[in-house]
Amino acid sequence: MRKHLIVGVAVALSAAVLPSVTASSANAASAICTAPNLQAAGGMDALVKAAKAEKQLNIITVPRDWANYGEAIDAFQKAFGIKINDDNPDGSSAYELQTIKTAPASKQPDVVDIGITHTGAEAQDSLGRSLFTPYKVANWKDISTDWKDANGLWYGDYSGSISIAYDSTVSPAPTKIADLTNPAYKGMVALGGDPTAATEAFTSVFAAALANGGSLTNVQPGIDFFAALKKSGNFVSVPATGANYASGAYKIALSWSYNGPGAIASAAGIGKTLKYVTPSDAALIAPPYVQAINAKAPHCAAARLWEEFLYSQNKGLTSKTITTADTKLSGSALFAKLQGGQNIWALGAAHPIMEAAMKTKGTLVTPPAGFEIPKGQKTYSPSFDQVVAARDVVNKNWATATA
Amino acid sequence: MPETVEVEIKGATSRGTLNRRNLLVLLPLIPIFVYLGAFFLFPMSRVLFDSFKSNKGEFTLENFQIVLHNPYRLAFLTSIKLGLVSALTAALPGALFAYLIEIKGSERIKKLVSSLSGVLSSTGGVPLAFMFIAAIGAQGSATTLLKNLGIDLYSGKFTLFSFTGLVIVYLYFQIPIMVVVFTPAVKALRNEWHEAATNLGATRFNYWRNIGIPILFPSFAASFLLLFANGFSAYATARAMTVGNVALVPLQIGSLVDGNIQVGGANIGKALAMGMVLISAVAMIPYLVIQRRTRRWQS
Repeated sequence: MRKHLIVGVAVALSAAVLPSVTASSANAASAICTAPNLQAAGGMDALVKAAKAEKQLNIITVPRDWANYGEAIDAFQKAFGIKINDDNPDGSSAYELQTIKTAPASKQPDVVDIGITHTGAEAQDSLGRSLFTPYKVANWKDISTDWKDANGLWYGDYSGSISIAYDSTVSPAPTKIADLTNPAYKGMVALGGDPTAATEAFTSVFAAALANGGSLTNVQPGIDFFAALKKSGNFVSVPATGANYASGAYKIALSWSYNGPGAIASAAGIGKTLKYVTPSDAALIAPPYVQAINAKAPHCAAARLWEEFLYSQNKGLTSKTITTADTKLSGSALFAKLQGGQNIWALGAAHPIMEAAMKTKGTLVTPPAGFEIPKGQKTYSPSFDQVVAARDVVNKNWATATA
Repeated sequence: MPETVEVEIKGATSRGTLNRRNLLVLLPLIPIFVYLGAFFLFPMSRVLFDSFKSNKGEFTLENFQIVLHNPYRLAFLTSIKLGLVSALTAALPGALFAYLIEIKGSERIKKLVSSLSGVLSSTGGVPLAFMFIAAIGAQGSATTLLKNLGIDLYSGKFTLFSFTGLVIVYLYFQIPIMVVVFTPAVKALRNEWHEAATNLGATRFNYWRNIGIPILFPSFAASFLLLFANGFSAYATARAMTVGNVALVPLQIGSLVDGNIQVGGANIGKALAMGMVLISAVAMIPYLVIQRRTRRWQS
């Protein structure tokens, strides 16, 4: 999901040796593996019971400090007594899909969280069949039709906005992207990686375009902006990682909002103060990541329960406040008391996919301070096609412009 | 640098014993062949095969047409330039250093340099990049120290996060590699030749022009090509210091095969990989030819 690391060479090799993969026979027999919604799965009580019996849930490339996922994992494990296995937390979307295609049955993920651009041909097997199985969560109608597959194969979950992250020693404090040209920031400004490979960096370039006379259909000014920053010496090409921040290799970065709370906590651990601000000249909310259930999921019920949990709009018990008495409640009663995934993500400074509906209903929690998009500021959200078009421009021009 | 394993069977008396000896010699090599097959030949043939495939699985030459254009064209040029420049700047100082240590150094110093070069030549990747960023990055500790002394590294055009910066960091392992691979050649330069030449009236210049340099040159050229291949293909160090602003083929393969932005470009990545194989082969073939010639002088 995050950065790119290991190519699945080992995975590919093991697949060549091991027999082909099918869902375990016990599950294959169960109707729950094909249940397209909660009713078909027998309702919440039955789903919780079946999920508890499976005992485990396999997730993949989910970093704990990413969008508050750590809290979602802890709360789910504590409430339902289901152990969550997280394979390769720092892997990429490509790795997730490659694992479904090649891993042995026991290593198959139950669910994936992938970039929306990965839902095309890459998410199909060699015969053109989807790697996913359709499932529509109870709150399905609150997901914008732009960001879900009509048949329920995949569905947007949360998105990030681009914030300016800066060390508290930076003076003056930046408030907008255009500020980054300030000569006082020489050798301080970084990106989260290579915009032709990392979504965070790519989206940052897109935001820089909006702040510099570009638009959702014109990303070039963003590339030109970083080319100019490179020329002035403000832009340093170290990837904006925690280690590089700790060493002082950069002091200001354009970053995902939802990595902020985790990064702030890590910075505090080494005696630094990291601050975040939404740039006043470009509030860009990226297209969401998407959830999907693996068609070969080894834990069919736990996978569906996890999705219901992630899309729950409830305010309620967290991993710290769930008691033993709560875990003895009936499945539906317990589920109703839990803080839902949509609010867990919101507390992690992400924008849950149902944000708009939840605002109307008044079920949305208040996001952490510093991450709100100021009232009245216009936000931009590129469509899928606009992202693809911008991606091709960035891929073609980035290296030559910033060399 | 891996030593070339060469099996040579001399003067066998009859065909029978030759075959038996052959088999015995080959036996311990079986694990190596298995290893080569599983981790070199098999993946390589898959990469070759896939590089001619479209995303629909049909045969195509399109992947190779794409990699001839920007940004991939630029990446090939920059990678080749990085290999050449880092090899050029490392080869001469490395060779001189190896010579001086071998001729002037005491046994103790020779041993020290030899083990030091061995360690430094295999330093690379993220730790190496991090060392340099922490030292002479824009906010590095050496940079700050020098600035306090009135020397501002970053006042002009210099930045560590550029092509020049990469070359500087690469020298950290390229020079020690040169020392490691060139020292045997210097060792083979026999003192008697120098004495004989002097006895026949040769000046120092005559000796170097007609004997020393012609004997050392093949080793030098071979070492240079090895450095080129090394600088051309390095991945992790460059990845930790750049965000796509220095276009390099290995990094672009990474973006295509395992990135979050490019989708469906894996086979283009494989075509890029085949391009790298081709360039490395072009560099390594003369290396092997030269190696064979030099061995005559070093046995």
